Amino acid sequence: MNLFVQQVVTGLSIGGIYALLAVGYALIYSIFKFTNFAFGAILMCAAYGAYFVTHTLKMTSLVSGLLGAVVIGVIVSLATELLAYRSLRRLKASRLFLMISAMGVNIFVQNLMTIMMSANLRSLDIKMPFNVIRFGKIRIGSLDIFSLVISLIVLGVLWIFIEKTKHGIAIRASAHDTDTAGLMGINVNKISFIVFAISGLTAAISGTFMGMKYAVYPTLGAISSKAFISSVIGGLGSLPGAVLGGFILGVLETMISGYISSSFRDLFSFSVMIAVLVFLPNGILGSGINDKL
Amino acid sequence: MSRFLEVESLNVYYGGIHALQDVSLYIDEGEIVSVIGANGAGKSTLLRTIAGDKEIKSGNITFRGERLPKTSYETVSMGISLVPEGRRIFPNLTVYENLIVSTYTRAHSKKSIDEDLDEVLALFPRLKERLKQSGGTLSGGEQQMLAVGRALMAHPKLLCMDEPSLGLAPIIIDELFEKIKQLNEERDQTILIVEQNAFLALEIASRAYILKTGSVTREGLGAELLGDPSIQHEYLGVHDDTSYEDED
Ligand SMILES: Nc1ncnc2c1ncn2[C@@H]1O[C@H](COP(=O)(O)OP(=O)(O)O)[C@@H](O)[C@H]1O
Ligand SMILES: [Mg+2]
Repeated sequence: MNLFVQQVVTGLSIGGIYALLAVGYALIYSIFKFTNFAFGAILMCAAYGAYFVTHTLKMTSLVSGLLGAVVIGVIVSLATELLAYRSLRRLKASRLFLMISAMGVNIFVQNLMTIMMSANLRSLDIKMPFNVIRFGKIRIGSLDIFSLVISLIVLGVLWIFIEKTKHGIAIRASAHDTDTAGLMGINVNKISFIVFAISGLTAAISGTFMGMKYAVYPTLGAISSKAFISSVIGGLGSLPGAVLGGFILGVLETMISGYISSSFRDLFSFSVMIAVLVFLPNGILGSGINDKL
Repeated sequence: MSRFLEVESLNVYYGGIHALQDVSLYIDEGEIVSVIGANGAGKSTLLRTIAGDKEIKSGNITFRGERLPKTSYETVSMGISLVPEGRRIFPNLTVYENLIVSTYTRAHSKKSIDEDLDEVLALFPRLKERLKQSGGTLSGGEQQMLAVGRALMAHPKLLCMDEPSLGLAPIIIDELFEKIKQLNEERDQTILIVEQNAFLALEIASRAYILKTGSVTREGLGAELLGDPSIQHEYLGVHDDTSYEDED
């Protein structure tokens, strides 16, 4: 029983990280209808940002690590939008070209980082205010608590931003139809700027926590496939769906690792995704989008 | 002095299709001008080009003496708003959000935006009862009112409407055209309407143009064209009441 509760909390904390990632992924998908394969590279660069601040600059608090990651994540995300996607959109290129461009960015950045930083695993030494919290016999690690609480706060702030502000309204209008949004006076390039910045921010926060849980290395971004899986489970293009999918995936994965074996984890995740695609093609909360590129 | 809106020898293509051929027309401030034409005549292309949503091959459009910008959102800031064909309401936004969305780049204060909102809701009281409802749940007529309201929220100097009567029941159409007239008379709103429904469009217009396969073939006062036997034969005979579709 205690193990189970601990597993659930760990699962939720991983779920929070996945949910953040999935929201960043789904925001871009919802507007431009393409999978931003460079998302992993952004996450990875951001994690190196956290490493740089905490290791090289020796500012070892969680806040400084997260700040370093967010600065790098947002810059890299905006750079991919400006350099790789915007000109393609101006030429009205099909989404396929956007995705190929995104894959190119991903490979390029990953290799560049390998050359610059080598393929070594680097651990993020971030000072936590405490190590574990005990509730009776249940012990919960501080990393789990902090990542869950911070993910929830960021998700909450994002939710308010999307639901309650004029930028959020414009983002949702663009997600339905960028042409009509333009006719109503919305500069879709400005919206894309906001959305890529948010996406860089969510990738950075998840990247930092991933780096703390495991390590920082050039292929850390592979974890972004979890964003895609979460989004498919929750319903592609749906932001609440992305959050729900992230938490479901996090908890399921932790249970599999805890009770069966962690080597089954990724196999299991992709199997769940395929099962959802076959039996529930629109996900749990998705609307009818039929091609899932 | 330059015209309020002036379109000079406009040519617009879709690939090899020459959709607008040397189209020239003008609108003076305070007018309602109608462009009537059959399906495929180029009416939507004309409005989309004015709204900055379709590029010009040759020719000029000037608005209050200035060249139009190249993008639709800048055209809105300049004072031209479009009620698009088929309304294109955002179904995932509430009625309130649909109205407010077109104030995104407005430089005006919150106060003047609120005043516009009050005015739009006074014009279309049915929207007021439905502000929290999602745009997708409205009836066709209500969606058209919302589409007009949404365009008005950008505080346009020129309001362009693409076939506002399309797909609406006759009583709803009458109500809508009453509102359009009211907008023009009470708010001095300058309006450009393109319509297949020639009778309504000619009746409401001070001046009108006939567009036929991409070219302007006639122009004149609304009443004058309405009384013209050849136009009655070509545009009014075929579009009698039986051509209305029912409201959904
Ligand atoms: N997106 C498009 N691609 C190619 N041809 C188009 C497109 N839109 C309109 N056309 C063509 O341009 C001409 C004018 O169309 P349109 O402006 O929509 O006419 P209307 O609004 O009067 O019905 C038609 O021949 C139509 O087939
Ligand atoms: Mg049309």
